[in-house]
Amino acid sequence: MNQVRLLFKMWSIQVRSQMQYRFSFWMDILSTMVLNGSYFLAIALVLERFENITGWTLGEVAFLAGMSELAFGTMDMLFSGYDPDQFSILVRLGRLDQYLVRPVNINLQLFGSKFMLRRLGRMFEGAAILVISFALTSIHWTLWKVIYLPIVFLSLVLSFGSLFVAGATLIFWTVQPIEAVNILTYGGNETITYPMTIYPDWLRKILTYVIPFIFLNYYPALYFLDKPDPFGMPSFAPFLAPAIAVIMLFLSFRFWNFGLTHYSSTGS
Amino acid sequence: MEPIIRVSNLQKTYRVIERRRGISGAFRNLFAAHFREVRAVDGVSFNIETGEIVGYLGPNGAGKSTTLKILTGLLVPTTGDAAVLGMRPWKERERYVSQIGAVFGQRTTLYWDLPVLDTFEMLQAMYGVPLERYKSNLADFSRILEMDEFIHTPVRSLSLGQRMRADLCAALLHEPRILFLDEPTIGLDVVAKERIRRFIQYVNAQRDMTVLLTTHDLSDVEKLCQRVLILDHGQLLYDGGLGELTERYEADNQLVVTFADDYTDILLDQAVLVRQEDRRAVYRFNSRQVNGSELVKQLLERFHLADFEIQRPQLEDTIRRIYEQRLLLPNGRQHPVASEEASP
Repeated sequence: MNQVRLLFKMWSIQVRSQMQYRFSFWMDILSTMVLNGSYFLAIALVLERFENITGWTLGEVAFLAGMSELAFGTMDMLFSGYDPDQFSILVRLGRLDQYLVRPVNINLQLFGSKFMLRRLGRMFEGAAILVISFALTSIHWTLWKVIYLPIVFLSLVLSFGSLFVAGATLIFWTVQPIEAVNILTYGGNETITYPMTIYPDWLRKILTYVIPFIFLNYYPALYFLDKPDPFGMPSFAPFLAPAIAVIMLFLSFRFWNFGLTHYSSTGS
Repeated sequence: MEPIIRVSNLQKTYRVIERRRGISGAFRNLFAAHFREVRAVDGVSFNIETGEIVGYLGPNGAGKSTTLKILTGLLVPTTGDAAVLGMRPWKERERYVSQIGAVFGQRTTLYWDLPVLDTFEMLQAMYGVPLERYKSNLADFSRILEMDEFIHTPVRSLSLGQRMRADLCAALLHEPRILFLDEPTIGLDVVAKERIRRFIQYVNAQRDMTVLLTTHDLSDVEKLCQRVLILDHGQLLYDGGLGELTERYEADNQLVVTFADDYTDILLDQAVLVRQEDRRAVYRFNSRQVNGSELVKQLLERFHLADFEIQRPQLEDTIRRIYEQRLLLPNGRQHPVASEEASP
């Protein structure tokens, strides 16, 4: 309980710090909304012309994009302390050492260290696209669907977050951030905004068996939109999202702890 | 009484990447890195008693920071042992660090965009300092450090000296029993340095706080430390009183003379002529073999003098001589090759 209070105190400090630069704050929110929104606009224009992508209408693709953007924005706000680019700076400037000489769990301090309120821009954008999707499609809402939607959202947030954590862990060895990690995080987010049917077999296999993003957005979408599964997966495939999120989070923090041990034996 | 810090045969070995030269070398580094072992700390032992202020000296790369990182729980030693307050710093980090304070030179722990007071309040929550204690500590430190004028100012607009004062206060609000300071006065002007030193003396005297500090500013050492540890190439060269150090190792005094006339032959038997510019000459002599007043007498017999002055060496020169000439090799051991830089 004490820990939760401490986290909220750290967040409030972060919010106050960021509000010191009000103009830049609002400009940032606005520009991320416009920038990320324009990507979706591009898809929308293509769909306007061709009606659908491999059987997916604009409203249906909007569901994929909206969920993914909303989740990624939320993750980026909460997990910014683990953003590999930020974390690299933290290590290089020795700030990590300063966190480590305080009697508070290091993960709590990292979660409290960068509460990026300006990521609200991307969250608004994602939410707006999701609302468009709801307007354009006629989802058959059942009680279970209403319950499951936030669970899928949370699973997406945690899965993206675990990629940040794993990427930050690599910094313990490399010090410099590794570009390949961004392919997984930002690229992963980009990839799952489209229906999986557009991808070649090998890429889809990676997204199924290596980094199982297919179960986090595409399969849940099939369930919400009542679309048939073209790949013949078992019928529980849409409901794997929370399990995958938990496993990814568990593995990434195991890796993180291993990296932290390495750091304390080598320094930087 | 049990020493508050006990370090025995501490050793820390790093593997550093040996870089190849040139473009093709850099390319090969990407695939197969060559590692070389560097002993940053090489068998260091010392004890520190409660209430001491000890200066930890040594040239860059001597292993000071590595030792400090081990003692603050950031690094695990390769071999050897350290017990601080009866704990192994790297073993029970969170419990241990609540009882120490650390300030690392120019790196600030303060929230950059917010008033100093916000950081203090955050630390109060983090360390779980009882509110009453926090308030009385803050009032006390704030008075000695004269922080009232800037406690509500955002950190980004503070001067370096003000920031350092606030950082010191931040490290002490939870009443640690030991304070580790890494270059506490670096980059400060004379007045600011003096303030910091007075404060360190104050907490040492009033709160019986033990202080271990590294510094390159030897006036810090002269004003604060009764005892110094001198480290070079990871090995402890000297552990003892400051007075004893200067007594034993400051040998070469300088005699600066201004002649009243032009002389050609001004060489002396017992002193080395270092410089001569016009009528001004600088001699160097060993104060343990040659009596300074004897030299002056000889000069007065031979020449007309306008002025003369005997200069005792600065502590800085003494220490430099100790490093350069390796005056204090431990157990008469020979050092590893001097060109090895031990700073990963």
